[in-house]
Amino acid sequence: MIEAVNLAKHYGAKTAVGGVTFTVKPGMVTGFLGPNGAGKSTTMRMIVGLDKPTRGTVTVNGKPFEQHRDPLHQVGALLDAKAVHTSRSAYNHLLAMAATHNIPTRRVNEVIDMTGLGAVAKKKAGGFSLGMGQRLGIASALLGDPQTLILDEPVNGLDPEGVLWVRNLARYLASEGKTVFLSSHLMSEMAQTADHLIVIGRGQIIADAPIAQILAGSDKAKIRVRTSEVTRLSQLLGGAGVNVACHENETLEVTGLDARQIAATALENQVLVYELTPMNGSLEDAYFNLTKDEVEYHSQQFNDQAPVAVKGL
Amino acid sequence: MSTTTISSPSRAAGGTGLSFAGILRSEWIKFRSLRSTQLLLLFTFLAVVGVGSMTAWVQALSLDGIMQHGMGMGAPGSPESTMTLDQATAAMGVNLYGIPNAGLQIGILILGALAVLFISSEFGTGMIRSTLTAVPKRLPVFFAKAAVLVVVSYVLTLVAAVATTLVAMPIFSAYGIEISFGMDGIVYSILMGGLYVAGVALIGLSLGTLLRSSAGGIIVLVVIFFLLDFGTQLMSFIPGEFWKYVNQYVPSVAGGRMLEINDKVAFISPAAGALIFVGWILLFMIPALIALKTRDV
Repeated sequence: MIEAVNLAKHYGAKTAVGGVTFTVKPGMVTGFLGPNGAGKSTTMRMIVGLDKPTRGTVTVNGKPFEQHRDPLHQVGALLDAKAVHTSRSAYNHLLAMAATHNIPTRRVNEVIDMTGLGAVAKKKAGGFSLGMGQRLGIASALLGDPQTLILDEPVNGLDPEGVLWVRNLARYLASEGKTVFLSSHLMSEMAQTADHLIVIGRGQIIADAPIAQILAGSDKAKIRVRTSEVTRLSQLLGGAGVNVACHENETLEVTGLDARQIAATALENQVLVYELTPMNGSLEDAYFNLTKDEVEYHSQQFNDQAPVAVKGL
Repeated sequence: MSTTTISSPSRAAGGTGLSFAGILRSEWIKFRSLRSTQLLLLFTFLAVVGVGSMTAWVQALSLDGIMQHGMGMGAPGSPESTMTLDQATAAMGVNLYGIPNAGLQIGILILGALAVLFISSEFGTGMIRSTLTAVPKRLPVFFAKAAVLVVVSYVLTLVAAVATTLVAMPIFSAYGIEISFGMDGIVYSILMGGLYVAGVALIGLSLGTLLRSSAGGIIVLVVIFFLLDFGTQLMSFIPGEFWKYVNQYVPSVAGGRMLEINDKVAFISPAAGALIFVGWILLFMIPALIALKTRDV
């Protein structure tokens, strides 16, 4: 359980986090979503006391983090994949971390096996790839088998197998009743992992709701329709609140109707439809709607694309 | 990866929570698990004993020359005279009982730099964020690092001092000068040298914490322990009594005075030197503790 009340952080005149209040509950995966520079990392650093809040308070499992007698058992945090001395081996890094809490060497070997670091554990961490560094960070976070897990961009640099593994791990830990709080700027990742979403932009919370509700809030679910009679079908589908666009040959993008309604219209009018696909971008749309005014760093716009640089889409 | 087993909830990890003994063990693991540190310690030992032995040899040679030929040491045209050992050491301004610490300056330089690096490298690599997440109260980390450095500096300097003495004994003996562990001040020197180096290490650790930069910390350390002495000696040429006394209060001179047993005219006593040196340590350590506790990392 993480509870932030009016949490704010200013760097000089610049506001990184502008007084956010939210609760991250146990037993579910809570996604922390926002564009680059929105204040995700700063918020997470304040939770574990690396940054001191300018205003407000944040508690973890009922107490400010620094007042816990067993911090590593309370919170496992992956805040920065490079929070490791580059000349020390992964094994010795974990051994030193474990020693602070008298965690036995057996557990160090366990997390090395869990994160698949066995082959490189005795090598210097400085030579690790981004993905291996990420695995080492996750291994550190899991050392104390913590009640609360905070992962900042955990899938950054991981291969597809690693991404799947992190997703399963997050879901498994949540099912065990733990609090799992993970940030990402990848909406697709969130859609598959999180139960609950907190969306942040320019240091302000702009949405805090179950993921289903955020998806439902997006009335712009898009459906791709492929048909041999583009013009006729567009006329048939057209109507109030319906938007039909044609960007390529024999393909329509329809918003305002669901797949069933489109199929019914096509059937009634004997129009051949050979593809009917609900676009998975619905969370993306919801996200763009929410953050379009909150993006710190707008990238130049190209064509019709969304005005945000989004990696991995 | 996909066939991993994830352990059962709560205390699957074992562990008994945070304790100072645990933090101390953690810092010791960090200290010994860097190959560069291991090599540096070996090198430091060899350098301290090596420089100490060479210094001993030069001293023995000079003393022998002075005792036989006077201060001119037999150079052509210089007045010939003979001196006793006591007169010769007084004339040269050396203490034979200081022989164990003849290589101390090298130890100060390397161990002081190592102390800076012990924390500045954590800031440099980002390791500090892992460290302070495990120990969010922060200050115990500093004290654990300090304890590791004090013990390592003291033990290494002590062993090197004994080794230097053992090497120096036959060298002096060859010139007819006898040195033994029973000599006045020798054991005191052996026991005190490590304390001085440990103090330098504490100042190094404080500088690394304050500046968070390896290069910056080491440069400031060198200025404090090597250039400040030289600079304040130059000050004694400034007209006025005051400037003649500044030199003895700088860290390296006050700290070095701890290693002596005799009284000197117009100079602080060894005990006062020790107190002034402790004052210098606190002057660096207290701001470092405040900075570590309050700054964002």
